[in-house]
Amino acid sequence: MSDAQAAPRPSRLENVAAATGAAFIGIAETVGGMGVLFGRIVSRLFAFPPRVDWPELKRNLYKMAVKSLPIVVVTALFTGAIMVIQAAPLVKRYGAEGLLGWGAGFGTLREVAPLLTALMISGRVGANNTAELGTMVVTEQIDALRTLAIDPIAFLVAPRFIGIIVTLFCMTLYADGLALLGAAYSGYGLIQVEPQSFYNGLTSGLLNFGDVANGLVKSLVFGLVIALASCHFGLATKGGAPGVGRSVNATVVASAAGVFVLDYLVSFILG
Amino acid sequence: MANAETTPRPVEATGPVRDLGAAAIDLFIGGRELYSVFVRTLYYVVRGRRDRGAVVRQMFEIGNRSLFFVSITMGFIGMILCYQAGLQAKRVVPDYTMLGATYLELLVRDLAASLGALMLATRVGAGIAAEIGSMVVTEQVDALRMCAADPIDFLVKPRFLASMVMTTVLIVWGAVIAFAAGAATANVAFDVPVKTFCNMSLIDAGDLTIGLSKCVAYGAAIPIVSGYCGLSTFGGSEGVGWATTRAVVNSSLAIIILNAIISTGGLLVFGAK
Repeated sequence: MSDAQAAPRPSRLENVAAATGAAFIGIAETVGGMGVLFGRIVSRLFAFPPRVDWPELKRNLYKMAVKSLPIVVVTALFTGAIMVIQAAPLVKRYGAEGLLGWGAGFGTLREVAPLLTALMISGRVGANNTAELGTMVVTEQIDALRTLAIDPIAFLVAPRFIGIIVTLFCMTLYADGLALLGAAYSGYGLIQVEPQSFYNGLTSGLLNFGDVANGLVKSLVFGLVIALASCHFGLATKGGAPGVGRSVNATVVASAAGVFVLDYLVSFILG
Repeated sequence: MANAETTPRPVEATGPVRDLGAAAIDLFIGGRELYSVFVRTLYYVVRGRRDRGAVVRQMFEIGNRSLFFVSITMGFIGMILCYQAGLQAKRVVPDYTMLGATYLELLVRDLAASLGALMLATRVGAGIAAEIGSMVVTEQVDALRMCAADPIDFLVKPRFLASMVMTTVLIVWGAVIAFAAGAATANVAFDVPVKTFCNMSLIDAGDLTIGLSKCVAYGAAIPIVSGYCGLSTFGGSEGVGWATTRAVVNSSLAIIILNAIISTGGLLVFGAK
């Protein structure tokens, strides 16, 4: 123990530097792990024939997409209503009832619907998926698959990866429509703008397919991030049952942060 | 086993009606239990034991630990929103003088509170549910009950108080970050001078009231919903994962629904100027 006493205690600055460095190494590890996983999944998908387990893909699509419909419906309807409530003072101030559809539609299609759908899907599907994969890792089911010479990436991970991306894309399409429906009718209920003039505002030429496509491209990128984060943290689970909880937490946080950072980049690149 | 084969099995109703009924009953039971957790938390806030240490620990856990995450996400949200608003303004009136004022009004009244709270629901809600859920699974909560201690008093109440304070603090901080990020984006992308952007002329008492009441409502909703999801965990380690998932989804839903309610109320009380 004389050794430990002889060594000078690290100063406060050194502690801060060590913590910062550790945080950066942690982030680099996560991003690197996700990159490697992505490479492995892509190598399975672009093999000929693609090495993906179709029954598992169908099961996951049902579990992820069909079962998420209720929360997507509720979220989208309320989101549309909120967009109208926020646009209402502006509409009243300038007396521009005809622009309500355009104003609410622009924000909803380009930004809010893809973003909120991604957050809900990341909470429901992404976290669920991590818990499932994490439990399999902790109970050594993945090792069992390897022992049977079944490739866990092709059998478990690739179907979930595709499932999450497809789910988020379809749910965003669906949420776009429902949010506009919610917006049209709450505009009628709250500030007496007829749904007809809301519709005219939407279709008068200020909005075009580019705006819808912008939101859909975003949803694909968000799906990629959520899928990679949830599969990566699920497979990287360590330390038994509490580890599963930690992985789920890490997935949710990483997905949310990743979605926002990429949202900014995609908005900026697409313009 | 011959016996089991001959006994007539009860006729099971099938089809959409049964599913709908089951879903409605589940929803009703869930709502009633959530309400009971809420009422009991309020009761213990008034009549429970005073445990300042637990509240301070939770404030550190909820507040200080989320600071980095909230700063990053709110910074990016600020940049995105300002960029989108600028693009939107460009198509109708290429005039950016009111961009900052309008943006600040929206931020104070709605976006800072709602988006910040959605971020906190993922970070804090998942943490609370995972922690309480693993206590349930390892029977620590039953041990508390054996000692005649209500888990709501010991586990949910400190988180409730801490979250109400820290959510408000973090959202105000997030709004500052988002506004600064927005000002920088407007300056770089649309050449709006920072002085023109920092225009507070549209903020009034109504906006502040709505924004702050949202902060408090979300701060109360997140720990109650996640605590309820954590306490109703069942089924071992896998159950903790499901509980976390449900906590995040239900807290987010609660925030969106509360947002619609408070925004409608604000629109009716303060009018649409």
